[in-house]
Amino acid sequence: MILAWMGLGLTISISQQNQIRGHQVSPNQINRIVSMAPNLTEILFALGLDNEIVGVTISSDYPPTAKEKHKVGNFWQPNIEAIIAARPDLVVTLGFDQQINLAHRLKRMGHTCLTVRIEKIRDLFEAINTIGTAVGKQQKAHQLVSDIQTRLDNLRALVGRDQTLKVLWVVQREPLRVAGRDTFINELIEIVGGVNAIGPTIHKYPPIGAEQVIACRPDVIIEPSEQHQNTAAQLRHAMQYWGRFENVPVVTNKRIYVVPADVVSRLGPRLPSGAETVARCLRPELFEK
Amino acid sequence: MKGLLTPGILARRTALAVAVLVAVMFVCSFVGAERISLKAVFCTATDLTTVNPDHEIFVRVRLPRIILAAIVGAALACSGVTFQALLRNPLADPYILGISSGAALGATIAVLGGFDWTLWGRSPIAVFAFAGGLAAVWLVWSIGRMTGKFYVTGLLLAGVVVNAFFSAIIMFLTSIAKSQQVHATIFWLMGNMVEEDFLVLWIGTGCIASGITALFLISPQLNILSLGEDDARSIGLNTTGIQTFAFTIAAFITAVAVSLSGLIGFVGLIVPHAIRLTFGPDHRQLFPLCAIIGAAFLVGADTVARTVVAPAQLPVGIVTAIVGGPFFLVLLVKYSKKVHWYK
Repeated sequence: MILAWMGLGLTISISQQNQIRGHQVSPNQINRIVSMAPNLTEILFALGLDNEIVGVTISSDYPPTAKEKHKVGNFWQPNIEAIIAARPDLVVTLGFDQQINLAHRLKRMGHTCLTVRIEKIRDLFEAINTIGTAVGKQQKAHQLVSDIQTRLDNLRALVGRDQTLKVLWVVQREPLRVAGRDTFINELIEIVGGVNAIGPTIHKYPPIGAEQVIACRPDVIIEPSEQHQNTAAQLRHAMQYWGRFENVPVVTNKRIYVVPADVVSRLGPRLPSGAETVARCLRPELFEK
Repeated sequence: MKGLLTPGILARRTALAVAVLVAVMFVCSFVGAERISLKAVFCTATDLTTVNPDHEIFVRVRLPRIILAAIVGAALACSGVTFQALLRNPLADPYILGISSGAALGATIAVLGGFDWTLWGRSPIAVFAFAGGLAAVWLVWSIGRMTGKFYVTGLLLAGVVVNAFFSAIIMFLTSIAKSQQVHATIFWLMGNMVEEDFLVLWIGTGCIASGITALFLISPQLNILSLGEDDARSIGLNTTGIQTFAFTIAAFITAVAVSLSGLIGFVGLIVPHAIRLTFGPDHRQLFPLCAIIGAAFLVGADTVARTVVAPAQLPVGIVTAIVGGPFFLVLLVKYSKKVHWYK
């Protein structure tokens, strides 16, 4: 009886599979795009696809018009019903486990998905070009990439190489967690002439103890703000927290900064603005004029 | 509670429960993040080129998910009944003998390993969770048997220790994992319902339905066992055989449920108790009623999970605990004076 049940299931499922076929969509036919991450939304908008975007994640808040788009759940808990209801002909996802899984599920239903992995700055350029090709906007994508590169080069030239400040990039205070070497934050710090105060670690974002904070002797501490939070209040809290390390120079010199998280933590087209924000923390004197 | 259980009463109660389940499933299939119209769903366009999102959402997302919730709910509730009867402990639930932590460890290893294959359409997480859950319960079972005469206590203690030990390993693994992998694991651990392929649901239903049927067939023996092992043996029951059989079946359907949807707590604890408190402790009616009401409960809880913070979703385990806990306490206070707990 059990075997008969299994056999019946197999037959139905095979006959069903023959009916459903994924259809390939050519770049010119793409009129409805769903973006599954805030930085992907920013890339799509930067490619001038304002009207083609029909769905974004809840945390996609830039550019401001993104907030008015149909919401398809958040990055970690996407809502597949909302995605299908948007009738997309292209769903762009990031190469994270959860999102790859989502892409698999959508593909099984015959939807077209594009998965890009954006972990380092190099990946960003590649992803912009891949997305540009998929939607038939190669020219615009090349333009966007070279714009970003030029602005980063200008910034590099501005800060020069004569001074290297040690930066501790705090992603979370309790328990203390900082950005390690294998992150794009590390690249960002190096572009603006800094160096990560923490050496190579197993973790991407290693948890560290008070001992390491003192031992690594940072010149600057940077905290990305928690979203939608009062930056001034967070800075006050940060000062209070770091006050316990009263003999560490960074605290006595008050070189602690809170920067807006969406600009610096989102690897997207606003990367140069993010880099500039960090540069302003490291070398405020260069921007005073 | 009211007199003896006759086939007539059982049939009436089962019919009532089936009616509740059908009503819940019907209502829940029209509640969701996206409003869909019944008319649009069934007006399947003759040409397959035009996309009909209403039909697609209903048939390919919502219905599979409701069926999945139903079979998982039924499996967990019946497995809970079995463990409570065998361990003669009202606190027992399907996860008490290490299945949860074994499955969780399996899932964590699968996430960290980043495997990229599928086995009959199942992801590595599901396969590892299934294997991990069964391995853990086998380990606990063997240790429990070794403790001899008082093996119920031995089993419980072994279950607690294995759970704690595996949890520690999971903590260790997640603490050295990449943050994105940790996220994936955490959502799995809180119960992860997604729409599944037809074949997966079909086979899952087959496994769970045959498991529940097998448990139903031995329910008279379980009734005797719940009087106490010595009494049962003295009237000529092969206690070891029945226990082994019931344990195996209950562990199997729990492992199937866990591999389908992650760890969903509370269903296996509150549904059996709720049924027992309202209708009495006879296992011949506990299994059918728990299967049906467990299914209805999880379908309802999952509908809340997918709509309450729409367009985002909650892990269903949160909803089962929040909704189930207070409801269960009310039942407990109201009915517990009238029934006898296992001694």
